[in-house]
Amino acid sequence: MSSTSQKHRDFVAEPMGEKPVMALAGIGEVYGKRLEEKGFDKAYVVLGQFLVLKKDEELFRDWLKDTCGANVKQQGDCYGCLKEWCDAFL
Amino acid sequence: MSQFVENPAHLSKSRLKSDLVAHSVELPPVKSKKEVYVGLHLQHIGQKNAVDFSSDEEDQVQDVSDKEEDTEMPDPSGLTDDDLKAALLEHGVKAGPIVASTRALYEKKLRKLLQSNGHGCLNGVEKGVLYSDSEEEEENGEEEDRELGSEGEKEETVKQSDQAQQGSSQVELCFQNGGFVYPQCFLLSSRLFPSGSQSVMPDGESSMSSQAFSITHMVEEMESRRSLSTSSDTERALNGSNVQKHWSRSNRLDMPIVDTMKNQSLYYTPKASSYEWKMKLTQEPVKDTVKNMFPNTDATTTGIYATRRRPIKGAAGRPVQYAYPDTPVSPTTLEKREVERRLVPIQIQILVFLIVTCLLYLIYVCVEDNSFGPSVALLDRFYQGSDSEEGLLLQAETQDVPAPSRQE
Repeated sequence: MSSTSQKHRDFVAEPMGEKPVMALAGIGEVYGKRLEEKGFDKAYVVLGQFLVLKKDEELFRDWLKDTCGANVKQQGDCYGCLKEWCDAFL
Repeated sequence: MSQFVENPAHLSKSRLKSDLVAHSVELPPVKSKKEVYVGLHLQHIGQKNAVDFSSDEEDQVQDVSDKEEDTEMPDPSGLTDDDLKAALLEHGVKAGPIVASTRALYEKKLRKLLQSNGHGCLNGVEKGVLYSDSEEEEENGEEEDRELGSEGEKEETVKQSDQAQQGSSQVELCFQNGGFVYPQCFLLSSRLFPSGSQSVMPDGESSMSSQAFSITHMVEEMESRRSLSTSSDTERALNGSNVQKHWSRSNRLDMPIVDTMKNQSLYYTPKASSYEWKMKLTQEPVKDTVKNMFPNTDATTTGIYATRRRPIKGAAGRPVQYAYPDTPVSPTTLEKREVERRLVPIQIQILVFLIVTCLLYLIYVCVEDNSFGPSVALLDRFYQGSDSEEGLLLQAETQDVPAPSRQE
């Protein structure tokens, strides 16, 4: 797991609680703002979407791209972050 | 085609529902049994088919109904959630809950599946015509856009390399098969073998790094096509191969290697061969940029530039081409050298130590001087060195002499 960022590691280390959506790996200021505008203001809401899509990578990536315009790398980071979180806590 | 002849009882409940919807028949309550659906189906659709059969415009109507059944609800956005789910299931996709946020995604997915199915029928025919050239200039441009977002299975990409027209369909087919791993696979496939295509290529010469990889295919292509193709073609192909996005270049390997011109089927494992070739080969058309990369290589007759790698020291079986710069050194000599290195510093250390002690002594003297009186004698004593004792005594005597003299 040498390619995970510090943000990823921080997020996956503990239950997300009320963390904002910008705490997700791959989601920074810009994407976070866009997600918030769409109503995904907390990380757990994005988690909800992730779970509703049955943790499917392709669908989640598509959804991210459509919702906030994240590029491929950020999609991958976010997906990986949530997936690992789920593996650890869900 | 055969579906409308089928007994409705053989259709699944969801299928019946969707058929009813397609024929704009009011659906019974959700919890109704299948028989209700079958009955309704027979009622409305059975009758309709009967009508169709008896009409003079039978064929047309049949075609229409065929089409309806073939495309299976062509407009995903017009479907209900259940129908959408059913449609996806028919395509082998197990969809999750279709709610407000997921609906759009599933609709998009269904559309893709429908399109790919429509094109998928061509695949069988295409594969038989693998190596024919097709000059589809416009489609190349379109393909590029599509391919930028698509991934490709390697075998299929190899086969598609010459099929610009059908390539687009296969692109989409492959796109669904895989994920986002290899986005630009198809770019080369469409670009490499258009004979005389004038598709707009990005300036391939700009990126040196991507060329390193694309060169590998180019080499293959060059060698095989040298006698057949004009340099302009290869240049175009090379330019085309250098796409803006570089990180998929390792996967482009397969495309050019299938030499469509010669009707050879060369299937290279993607990365192994790419790395092999990369190390050894460069290409003539790409010479200008390549030469910058490898300025020291000499021109060879075949146009292949091989940079000899420095032999590994001690590698078995490799002849030593030149003397090693270092002579073999034993551990003892190393130790000796270390010691020698230390010798000089040691002397300096001693010197420094002496200077420091002298300074400290001076300071001590000064301190004593303030508290005890005349320091000159002590300083003189210091300067006289080893004979200081005698000097001290003399000094003391001299001091004592004037002292008593003063007193007197």
